[in-house]
Formats: sequence, structure tokens, C-alpha cells
Amino acid sequence: MTRPPRELWARRLALGLLAALVVALLLPVSIAVARPAVTIRVLMPAPFVDATAATVDAFNRSHPRLTIAVTRGPFETESVSDLAISSLLLGDSPYDLLLMDVSWTAKYAAAGWLLPLDDRLGPDPLAGVVSGARQGNVIDGHLWRLPMVASMGLLYWRTDLMERPPRTPAELVAVSRQLQQQGRVRWGFVWQGRQYEGLICDFLEVLHGFGGRWEPDLTPGLGLEQPEAAAAAGWLRQLLVDGISPAAVANFAEPETLQAFETGDAAFMRNWPYAWSELQKPGSHVAGKVGVTTMVAEPGQSPAATQGSWGLSVLRGSSHPDQAVEVLQALTGADSQRRLVKDWGNTPTLTALFEDPELLAASPTLPEQLRALEYSVLRPITPAYAQLSDILQRQLSDVITGGLPAAQAMGRAGQASTLLLESTGGEGTGA
Amino acid sequence: MTTPTPATSASVTVTSATPGSSTSGSLRLEQLLRRIGTRTIVDHLDLTVEGGDCLALLGPSGCGKSSILRLIAGLDWPDAGRILLAGRDITALPPVRRQVGMVFQSYALYPHLSVARNLSLGMEMRGVPRATIERELDRVLVLLQLEELRGRRPADLSGGQRQRVALARALLRRPQVFLLDEPMSNLDAQLREELRPQLRTILCGGSAPVVYVTHDQQEAMGIADRIAVLRDGRLQQCGTPQQLYEQPANAFVARFIGRPEINLLPQPDGSLLGVRPEHLHPVGEGGIAARLLSREWHGASQQLLLSTSYGPLRWVCNGDQPVEAELRLGWEPRRLHRFDGRSSLRLPD
Amino acid sequence: MSRTLRANLVTLVLIAPALLLLLAVFVWPMGYYGWLSLQAQSVFTGLEPVPVGLANWQRLLGDARFWQDAAQTLRFSGVSVGLELLLGLAIALVLHQRWPARGVVRSLTLLPWALPTTVMALGWRWIFNDPNGPINGLLQSVGLATLPFLASPQLAWIAAVVADVWKTTPFVALVLLAGLQMIPADLYEALALEGGHSWQALWRITLPLLRPYIFLVLLFRLAQALGVFDLIAVLTGGGPAGSTESLAVYAYLNAMRFLDFGYSATVMLGMFLLLLLSALLLLLWRRAAEA
Repeated sequence: MTRPPRELWARRLALGLLAALVVALLLPVSIAVARPAVTIRVLMPAPFVDATAATVDAFNRSHPRLTIAVTRGPFETESVSDLAISSLLLGDSPYDLLLMDVSWTAKYAAAGWLLPLDDRLGPDPLAGVVSGARQGNVIDGHLWRLPMVASMGLLYWRTDLMERPPRTPAELVAVSRQLQQQGRVRWGFVWQGRQYEGLICDFLEVLHGFGGRWEPDLTPGLGLEQPEAAAAAGWLRQLLVDGISPAAVANFAEPETLQAFETGDAAFMRNWPYAWSELQKPGSHVAGKVGVTTMVAEPGQSPAATQGSWGLSVLRGSSHPDQAVEVLQALTGADSQRRLVKDWGNTPTLTALFEDPELLAASPTLPEQLRALEYSVLRPITPAYAQLSDILQRQLSDVITGGLPAAQAMGRAGQASTLLLESTGGEGTGA
Repeated sequence: MTTPTPATSASVTVTSATPGSSTSGSLRLEQLLRRIGTRTIVDHLDLTVEGGDCLALLGPSGCGKSSILRLIAGLDWPDAGRILLAGRDITALPPVRRQVGMVFQSYALYPHLSVARNLSLGMEMRGVPRATIERELDRVLVLLQLEELRGRRPADLSGGQRQRVALARALLRRPQVFLLDEPMSNLDAQLREELRPQLRTILCGGSAPVVYVTHDQQEAMGIADRIAVLRDGRLQQCGTPQQLYEQPANAFVARFIGRPEINLLPQPDGSLLGVRPEHLHPVGEGGIAARLLSREWHGASQQLLLSTSYGPLRWVCNGDQPVEAELRLGWEPRRLHRFDGRSSLRLPD
Repeated sequence: MSRTLRANLVTLVLIAPALLLLLAVFVWPMGYYGWLSLQAQSVFTGLEPVPVGLANWQRLLGDARFWQDAAQTLRFSGVSVGLELLLGLAIALVLHQRWPARGVVRSLTLLPWALPTTVMALGWRWIFNDPNGPINGLLQSVGLATLPFLASPQLAWIAAVVADVWKTTPFVALVLLAGLQMIPADLYEALALEGGHSWQALWRITLPLLRPYIFLVLLFRLAQALGVFDLIAVLTGGGPAGSTESLAVYAYLNAMRFLDFGYSATVMLGMFLLLLLSALLLLLWRRAAEA
């Protein structure tokens, strides 16, 4: 008895399907075998994930056995630190590389979370880095990070309302008052007055402009108990009292500041370089009417720009430090920075890029940014920085909202800071 | 299944103690109508309860008897008709001004208050002086044997005790009318039997009209002077228990009153022949031929189910009556009821 | 084996899972925090624990910021929970009545509670924005000056209370509504027959019978409010001038920003003791109310 043909076909079909299934099951396995042996995980704040995507893609294409996997962190700077610290506290960090704000470095290094990069990047790895972005990377003789983008405080001014920007605090107030009286702007000057890290950055620039300093070695009170500090804080408070700045700046962070300036409500704004490209976007009322310069300073004092660079560090827990360093070099290298400047309006850290004609065309404020970088100032480099910043934030916020006279508040901040450093043995440059 | 017993001697003392006698009068419902949506819950009802009379509203669940109670209390409002109490139209009065004493099916005792506070709260709210409150309280606590329980909360009382507290609260109201909504339904059967005479003594001895809602015909007959049988919001018949038993106005009333249920035998002319099981007796000839199907023996009586050419037949007789498998059953002509086949109304004898 | 011993053993076995869970989620962390509060473990010790005895506790007692934050947290919790109770009760009473579309409104009322706190805090930050927020828009449109809600130490904590009340009143209303539905309707009818009007019904029946629910919701909300963190962190960051900083925010700063875990644990335990004290007072109040 022969099989009916139909059944034979069914058997062949079943066999064929089985074969297809086996192939389908094995295919991913074979791909996995061929995949690169090492994956380097990087945690970055969300905006930098987008800005480095092209570089990461190019790297992954050209390195078949080494993959960069980027984790999208939160938008807000401090939230990224929270996320990183949470994972670091649990022991084995899931990340090899961390994109860090300059103010975190000392704390992370002291906690033992970072791998010193001293001999891994060849002789003088900071040689090509612009002077303003060079500081804050070497602490206690070790190199802990390599900057990827520079950033510093800038004074934005309205080219349609004045011929040249003010140079002194008094000038800024006078121009503001005149424009306000003429009804051409509602506010003179908008800045970051919320009780958070941004307030410290703004204050540091004004402090230097008044001839003051805020450094762990200074006495009394790290420099805060000097009259210059009281003068700087008092000037900020007076901006609100005189109506040069709205009362609301006491709760302004960068977005609120940008919004107020973008709508044409203010003559001056203190902000970071990213704001320039935002102001040129459609919807901005001040596109093409904005210039950038350094913050005002008293006659005889040089202006200051708080350094706020982002740099990459290798975490000590990384199981592939060599490959992590390779990725670090690629992300901080010239090609990567070129994209960050050209496509995303960031500030480079490599001196050579400031003269690149292509980049100058894309980012016309580069020369002003370079000039500002020459005046760049650092926040205190100590593992206790977060506490010092917190102490000063509270006292400054108290001054700005009219709670305490400036001299008294700065006195308190100075005493509390001194006490803190004494109790932690953290005088000097810490770790 | 007899007419209610007259008030016992105990009722004499209660009568004198029952409050509000001077103001009591009759309760009259005139063409009372209540609708919920498209459903007619109470359908043009006319009823009168004389002061001191106890009327039971009897019917299956959903017949509208509780709704009538709520209309009298003022908890619901009629769509048409009038309610008169002691000659006064109270249809539009808020509940508090009707002066009704109501016992809810659940007793509705305030769970967070002691027995004494449960009883005194109403007087407190009405601003009765403290001394009067104490006096009144003592009076009902004694009357209902609740003195020992005055500090307890409702959760710590038995079902019968709760009922007494609810009764006491209604009494304290010095009501012009007593309303009781299935007050026995939360008690077990034995307790019900025990409490029935007591309840009757307390309620029906006074001069205020009493309206008592129940679905239990036995309870209604045991407590009420008169019974109003309701079906779908309509009054079927109102009369003394004896009238309802002996002269049911229609087949529904005949079936509802008397247990076991009346036998209704369809006649060739379409009418129904009704004869109560307890009115059948064996006859030599005549009557109808029956064959025994089943038998329940209760000692004093026995209940039998028989099959006849008219259908099944219920028979109740003495427990010692010998019963054969095949027999003939007859009845006295005066025990016979006839109902119209279509309208089910009673046909003239 | 005696019968009682066996019964006890069975009991023990049966409650063991619950005990273990309690041990894991409560006793262990609390014990760990207690141990940590006796250590210096911070960035200055290389994150290694170093026993310091009661130094952290001494510091806590003398830490003006801790006590200021404790006062601010208590003020925030007391005012928020008090308002939530009043509003929640009012809403529950309204939702308990019969009226058309009640079901829809009930569900809508719950929406704020379903929203993640961070999202709603961002929303309120915008609402309170000076000058671009809707409230200030309204003030300007009627010719009034704008108010710096989040930039003034006097106003910012009120703004936080408003946001918290908006978010959690629905929860309070929901619990109280459940409580209202447990109260038999005939109690109100009995009261009405005895001459009680609606105000007396609220006072004599609703509130006393709602008391267990009020107690529950107070305990629950107070515990939540005393630990308020995300709302404050997003809305004001504790500012201006530290005027809205809560104990949880302070504990968080010590741990995550300052990397001072020993002191953070001490602050956390201090906060817990405060909570315990509040719960105790609440219990005493309940005892007194029932007696």
C-alpha cells in the first residue's frame, strides 16, 4: 500500500518547518558569538546622550569588538549624580565611564570611586586643552577626568537696546534702569537665584567681580567673611529691591531665566553657552539681537566666568579599564568635540577648535567664549564641596529673599564653612 | 389561626403608662400614591386605623407595605393623596413634626452610644430639660426591663434586647402613631413566639394607632386587630383576621391567610372552588375521591397530600384520625369559597 | 507534646511569614540605621564605618537646621493633613449624596491622587511661576501685581501645602467615602424622626461613626506628610533660604550629596522618632475620644 501523495507533502513541509525553526533558534546564538567581546557602559545626562549619538555610532561601526552602550541619565545635573551614587553605593557599578560635572570630581575621587588616569593617556594629556578648562581635573597630583565640553558663565546682552555691553555692576544697573524707565524692557537683569548649585555659580562671578574670593585656604571663613563677599551678595539683593531683577529670580533656575530673556522681557541674562543657540531658534523674540560677554566687574577687577565643564572619568569598578580609556579618548577627542560644537552648540575644550573656520561659522560666539574661558574661576576643590555649597546656598537665598543682611549672612556662611572643614579635617585641597 | 386574644391583665398597667394618649386619634390614608420612576409602589391607597387599634400591613416582599410606613413617617413623600393624623393633614409635615414612634427592621440603634444615650439623644436634640429626660428614661427602662443594660452599647446586646431598646426609643417619642417595620424579622422563631404577646401588650394597649408591617401572616394574625393585605401596591382586603379567614375577598387573600394554604380547585365553568385543608373530612359517599400521596405527622395534627381528579389536595386533620390509602373527602357547604376564574374575586355564596 | 504547646507551635509557624517580612522590611533597616547612627561613615572616612559613639546624636541635638526642618516639616504636615481632612470630608459628603453623573465625578476626583508626585509638582511649579504661571496671569489680568509664590520664604511653604492638599485630598475623600457608605441610612432616618436636622446628623452620627476612618486616614497621611520628599525636592528644592526644607530632604542631602551616611541615618531616625511621637499622640487622642 503506497502512501497517499498528500501525506508525503505534509511530511516534507513539517521537516522544512523544523529546519527553519532550528536555524531561527541558532541564528541569534551565532550572532552572539560574533559580537564584540567588550561593552563599555557610559552614564550621561540626557542632553549629552543625544549630542554624542553620532560619535558613538561611528565608534561602534569602526570597532567590531568594542561597543559603547550609553545610559540616558536624567536632565537635571544633580539627578545624574544621584543616579550614579545610588549605583556606586551598591558596590559593583554597572557603568565603566561617567560624564561628570567639574564640581563633583573631588568628592568622587575621595570616595574612591574613580580610577586615576595618570599613566594611561600618554604624557601631558591636558596639553591641547584650553587653559580655562584645564583646572579641576588634577586633584592631589592625580588626573581623574578629561573634559569633553567646556562651559562657563556668560552675560547675555541685547544688541538692539545698546551699543556695547556694560562692564561694571553700576553700569549694568544704570543701563537697566534707563531701559526700564523707557519701557523698552520689563526687567533689567535675569539670573539664577533659586536655592541650588546655579546660585553659587552666579554668585562666584559677582564675588570675583567685586574682588572677593571663595577658596578653602582663605581666612576668615574661606573668604566669605571679607567685605567683598558681603558687597557681592548685597548687590544681588539690591537688584531685587530696586526692581532691576524680578522678585521671582529667587526661584529662577536656567530654564526660567532663559524664558524671561527669550520673550524679550529682560535686557541682560546670566547663563551658560547652551543658551545662545536656544535664543536663535524660531519662537525666540530676541533671535539675532543677542551678544555675549563676560560678567560685569568693579573697575580694576577682572571679570570672572564660573567653570562648569563636563568631563569623563573611569570608574574604579570597571572590569575593562583599558577599553574604557579608549572610549574616553574617543568621546573627548577632536572629532567628537567638533560634532558637539557644530551640531549642538557646545563649547570645545581643545584650543585648536576655537580657531577652526568651520566651527566659527557654525558658532559665532566662540571667540567670546574663549575670552570668557581665560577668566574662568573654579568652585572650591574639596570633597566637602557639596556641604560648602549647601551652606552658602542657604545663606545667599536668605539674603536675596530679604531674610538677612548680606554681611551677617556671609559671616554665618563663613563660620559654618570653617567649622565644617575643621571637623572633617578637610582644609586645603582635601583628599 | 384564631382571632387575636383580648389584652391580658398586664396591659392595664401599660395602658396607663403609655404616653401621648391625650393627643392620639385615628390615622387616615386617602388615595395615597407613590411612584418610583415608572413603577407604582403604592397605588391609590385608602386606609383608616383608629386610635388604640393595631393594623398589620401584610403582603409578600415588594408589595409596598414598607413604603406605606415610610410615607406615614415622612421619610418619603407621596406623589398624590393625603395623610391625616387625628384629623390633621400631615402630608406636608417634616418627619419630626409628625410625632411618630418608629421601630426599624434593623432597629437603627446608634452603635456608638450606650443604651441610655440611644434613648435620650432625641430628647436632648429637642431640648427637653435634663430632669425630664432622666425621669422619662427611668420610666421606659423599667417598663422594658432595660435598667441593667443602660450602660451597654448595641453591639453587646442580644437581638431581643436590641428590639426592646428600639421599642423604648419609639415609646419615648410620645408618639401619635406607632410604626413598626418587621420588628421580629431579626429574631429566631422561638423568641418571636415569646415576644409577640409582650409586644402586643406594650403597643396595642395604648390609644395611638399602630401600623405593623410584616410578611408573616401568623404574626399579623397574632398581633393585629385588623389586617390589610397588599399586593403590588394595591389593597386587596382590610378586615379583622377572622373576616379575612372566613370571607377572603379574592383568591390571593385566601391563599395568603391560613396555613397550610387553601385548596383552590378549578371548576368546569372556569371558577375556582376554595376549601381550607382543615375544613375537609372523610365522607362515605359524595365529596371527591382522593388517593394518599404523602403524610406529615405532627402529633396533635397531621398534614396530608392527596391526589384527586382536580389536582393535588391538602388536608389537615387530628393526629389520631385513621387515614386510608383511598378515601372520599367532603366539607360543610358554609366552609366553601368560590372565586371568579378571571378576576379571582369572591363570588356570592 | 502537650496540646497547648502544639497549638503555640502551629501559631508560630503560621505567623512566621508575616514576622519574617516585618523583620526584612522594618526591623532590619531600622537596626541597620541605628548601628549606622553610631558610626562616622562619610566621604572623609573613605566611606568606611568608624565607630564614634553618640557623636552623631550629639550633633543632631545641637543642629539648628535639624530642628528648623523638624518644625517646618511638622507645620507642613499639620496644616496639610488638617486641610485635607476638612476638604476630604466635605468632598466625601458631597459624593455620598445622590446626584446625576456622580460616578463620573467620583472617578475624576481621584485623578490628582493617581498622578505621580514629581509630575504634579512640576505642574504646580508652572502654576506658581512668576510671572508666567496661570495664577499670576490671573492676578495681572485683574490689574494686580504678581506674587513670587516660590521665591518668597513666607509664601513657598504655603504653595507646598496647596500642592500637597490638591494631590492627597482625593485619597482622604476616598477613605472617608468608604466610611460613609458603611453607615446605615436608617440611622439618619431614625435621627430625623427624633427631631435631628442635618447639622446634628453630621455631628451626632456621621462624625462619631466615621472616627475610625478619620483616625486611619490621619495616621496614614501624617506618616506620609512627615516624610515628604519628592514634592519639596521638585517644587522648591527646599528653598528659598531653606524655608521649605523637610527632614527627608535634609536626610537625602546628607546621604546623596554630602556622602555623610552616619549623620543621614541619624537624621532619618530622628524623623522616625518624630513620627512615632505623632502617632502616639494620635492614639492618645483616639483613646480620649472613645472614653
